[in-house]
Amino acid sequence: MIRLEHVSKVYKTSTRPALDDVSVEVDKGEFVFLIGPSGSGKSTFLRLLLREEVPTRGRVYVSNFDVAKMSRRRVPRLRQSIGCVFQDFRLLPTKTVAENVAFALEVIGKPRNTIVKVVPEVLQLVGLDGKEDRFPTELSGGEQQRVAIARAFVNRPLVLIADEPTGNLDPDTSQDIMLLLERINRTGTTVIMATHDHGIVDSMRRRVVELAFGKVVRDDARGVYGVGR
Amino acid sequence: MRTSFVFSEVVTGLRRNVTMTIAMILTTAISLGLLGGGLLVVRMVDKMQANYAGKLEVSVLLTNDVSANDKDCTQQPCAGLRSQLEQTSGVETVVFQNRDEGFERFKRIFEAQPELLKLARPEAIPATFRVKLEDPERTDVIKQAFEGKPGVKGVDDQGKFLERFFEGLNGLRDVALILALIQAFAALLLISNTIQVSAFTRRVEVGIMRLVGATRWYTQLPFLIEAVVAGIIGAVSAVAGLVLFKAFFLDRITRNLTESGIIPPIGYLDILIVSPWLFLVAIVISATTGYVTLRLYVRL
Repeated sequence: MIRLEHVSKVYKTSTRPALDDVSVEVDKGEFVFLIGPSGSGKSTFLRLLLREEVPTRGRVYVSNFDVAKMSRRRVPRLRQSIGCVFQDFRLLPTKTVAENVAFALEVIGKPRNTIVKVVPEVLQLVGLDGKEDRFPTELSGGEQQRVAIARAFVNRPLVLIADEPTGNLDPDTSQDIMLLLERINRTGTTVIMATHDHGIVDSMRRRVVELAFGKVVRDDARGVYGVGR
Repeated sequence: MRTSFVFSEVVTGLRRNVTMTIAMILTTAISLGLLGGGLLVVRMVDKMQANYAGKLEVSVLLTNDVSANDKDCTQQPCAGLRSQLEQTSGVETVVFQNRDEGFERFKRIFEAQPELLKLARPEAIPATFRVKLEDPERTDVIKQAFEGKPGVKGVDDQGKFLERFFEGLNGLRDVALILALIQAFAALLLISNTIQVSAFTRRVEVGIMRLVGATRWYTQLPFLIEAVVAGIIGAVSAVAGLVLFKAFFLDRITRNLTESGIIPPIGYLDILIVSPWLFLVAIVISATTGYVTLRLYVRL
């Protein structure tokens, strides 16, 4: 599903590579934690998958997209098959819950009748039925993240990328969000989650890829956050 | 493409920075109005040239003595001058107009200005040969041959006067077009700036649109349409401005000249013919500026 082959990324503003000869393969339906301290290259890793960045060397494959080589014109297709969730939710404050989710479909030109059908479905999946007409400011942090997840998942992506999705949430709420991501993973969606949250990584016992100074220093099939900690 | 979505984005975009939008529309409108004015002058000059091309005459003015005493041009030197004129090569027709006829004509031309008519006396109008040439450019021949002859007071070349008049109009046109160009430049910068501001205020939306895989067109179109809509409103205002200018200003100051047939009137039809160009220019300029701005300054 996702394959990085000897990928290096050097930013113009920095002498040290953000990623240094990274090779990782992720199968369809896997749940992968991407861990490592700030500046270890997690964000660059995720940005390469979305083609927000192009690698300096190496190749990146997502599904059957040759991400590094593809033409600009095809980038939207790639991004339509990847859902994204962030620490800061990134909801539109002037739109309601339902409108925020519908927005993701409207801007890729989905027909109205599809939108009115699938938006309530996905809101029910994330446990927000009954709150369709609320505005983001009227919701708790956990609920806002659920809206963001609904928006990322509404187009049924092959891959869900979550960049510290629990970074702004308390432990209980984080746990709920993780259960939701697990549910989405069970539908066959590959989930890649960058995180600093020890508790979550340790309790989930999923694959852990650890980065340090741009290199993969650990890749455990059923890992915990810190070895010997 | 979901048109309702794009449309609602455009409306919010225009409303969100209303002051910039108004500035953009006004500058565009003034620029297009000046351009329209320039184009109307061009049309007027064309019409005048067509009007006068067949009518240009050389007037051979006769002395006071002849004018007073020879009403039918049967005596010398008047009769001799006429036959000489008729025999000159290149002359098409020669019409004699005596003092009284000349005065009638004068009254007709200036009937809208009674003050002027009160002052005028038939004695001030000379009898005149109105000479029409096959080639209106060759007025010098008549001037050289007849100026200074006995009985001739002077040779008046309408062509020379018209040339000066056209020069004046063309100058007016050039000034209007240069001002239009300067205003267009200002409008261009404003359009570019408005799009940048608009893109900045909508950066979260645009960011989400990119992430969920909206195509470049989908993300850019609202901004482009925003610019084009402002341009079209500018063009509408410019056309309205031209109509108002004609109705309340131009018609008043040129009434005498147009009624006497000296200059052709600018009609609403002329404005109608000029206005599609204004719309075209508005759309092309705003769309191009928008597109270039998005390419250069805004990462979508």
